[in-house]
Amino acid sequence: MENPRTRLPEEALSHLDALYNLARWLARDSVEAEDLVQETYLRAVRAAHQFQPGTNLRAWLFRILRNTFFTQYKRKRREPEVVDPEILDGMPDTSGAVSVDDRMAGPPDGTAGLDLVAALNRLPEEYRSVVLLSDLEDFSMGEIAAIMDCPVGTVKSRLFRARGILKQLLRDYPH
Amino acid sequence: MDCSEACKHLSDLNRGRLEADTAEVVRAHVAQCPTCAAALQTEARVRVLIQAQVPRHSTPSALRARVQALLAESTSPEESVARGAAARSRRTAGLSGWRDLFRGHPWTLGSLACAAAVLLVVSAGWLWLAKDPVSRLADRAVAEHLEYIKDTMTRPAAEPSAVMGEVKSQVDFAFEPVFPGDAQVQLVSGKVEKLGGKRTAMFIYRDASGHYTTLFLMPEAGIVIPDEGRLPIETFKPYHRMTKGRQLLLWKQRNLACLLVSDLDQAGMASMFLKVRKAA
Repeated sequence: MENPRTRLPEEALSHLDALYNLARWLARDSVEAEDLVQETYLRAVRAAHQFQPGTNLRAWLFRILRNTFFTQYKRKRREPEVVDPEILDGMPDTSGAVSVDDRMAGPPDGTAGLDLVAALNRLPEEYRSVVLLSDLEDFSMGEIAAIMDCPVGTVKSRLFRARGILKQLLRDYPH
Repeated sequence: MDCSEACKHLSDLNRGRLEADTAEVVRAHVAQCPTCAAALQTEARVRVLIQAQVPRHSTPSALRARVQALLAESTSPEESVARGAAARSRRTAGLSGWRDLFRGHPWTLGSLACAAAVLLVVSAGWLWLAKDPVSRLADRAVAEHLEYIKDTMTRPAAEPSAVMGEVKSQVDFAFEPVFPGDAQVQLVSGKVEKLGGKRTAMFIYRDASGHYTTLFLMPEAGIVIPDEGRLPIETFKPYHRMTKGRQLLLWKQRNLACLLVSDLDQAGMASMFLKVRKAA
């Protein structure tokens, strides 16, 4: 029996910026991202009675966002050419390559971020989302596994491989 | 432990999120494996690079207003369903119903559209102004923190006494003593910026894993710290929130408002807070 008075905690609004940010990465379009976030909150409000107070509201909202995206949006039509992780796995190791260090320094006008964004966009979604959830949103491996509905080991493996791919792609970008 | 197993733990090792036993085993492997040692370094550097250089998309004010309204009005799942359906029909089916209503009177629809646009702009401005001072302070502090990381990520740590002297010469309030760093965390730099209209002393620290923490010190006058959202850390209870994925702590000490923004996780942030709080 649903509790008709269950409401989302007030904290829910504080996650709007982070949800919209991921929505932009997923949808690749500002209007679609807005719809996606609004739909996420609508679903969360409707399912508020399922949320356990004291548990991780932020991760729960991100899980709804991602599920909503995959059930309602045809992401593939805008997915650009992505890197095949299997191919990159076979490439020689570039440990110690200078390009990542160079990017760390970054030119004074901040343009290094553009190459990095392009590199992130070439990652398969499953890899890109792991990186964004881990590095930008600081979710733990367990939280990411819950958000993406996959085993923790898979998340760890994807994150490690994504780092290698990014390093490879940054090296490949023209300076 | 072999490489394939160790590589899965490198991110958690860098973020201090491994159980002590596992961390020890991974560290032992990394110590004798050059490939994993290089991968550990790459892990930290790519992470810092992403945090510093990947831009965040700003939430449109109209979306914020819609979500705020949705959350404020939600009282029951039944109403939510009804409202959700209504909202979806507004956004996906368009205004066909309204068009039918006003068919033959296009000037009326145009006038309404103009009025709605004006209302939207006014309410967006009102929402910005209505955002509470602590939220505005938090947003600004996190933005400064991210900028500061970019400025300092390739700099060696400065001499703490030189940093203090430089900052002291630029503000008209006393802030010392300040945490000068220790074996785990280095004070990299200090500077003065305006935050919430006040000249603020800023100090940025970096740990061995490449995590950055920025300490902001400013006169406390006019800053009200909310009673809710306090995080117990030993005997202290600073105000805590997450802003743009960063940990943020705010407290008052002597005549100062102290604000700490960090890329660390909550446990790491608590440890950093204790160092800063006790040093003062």
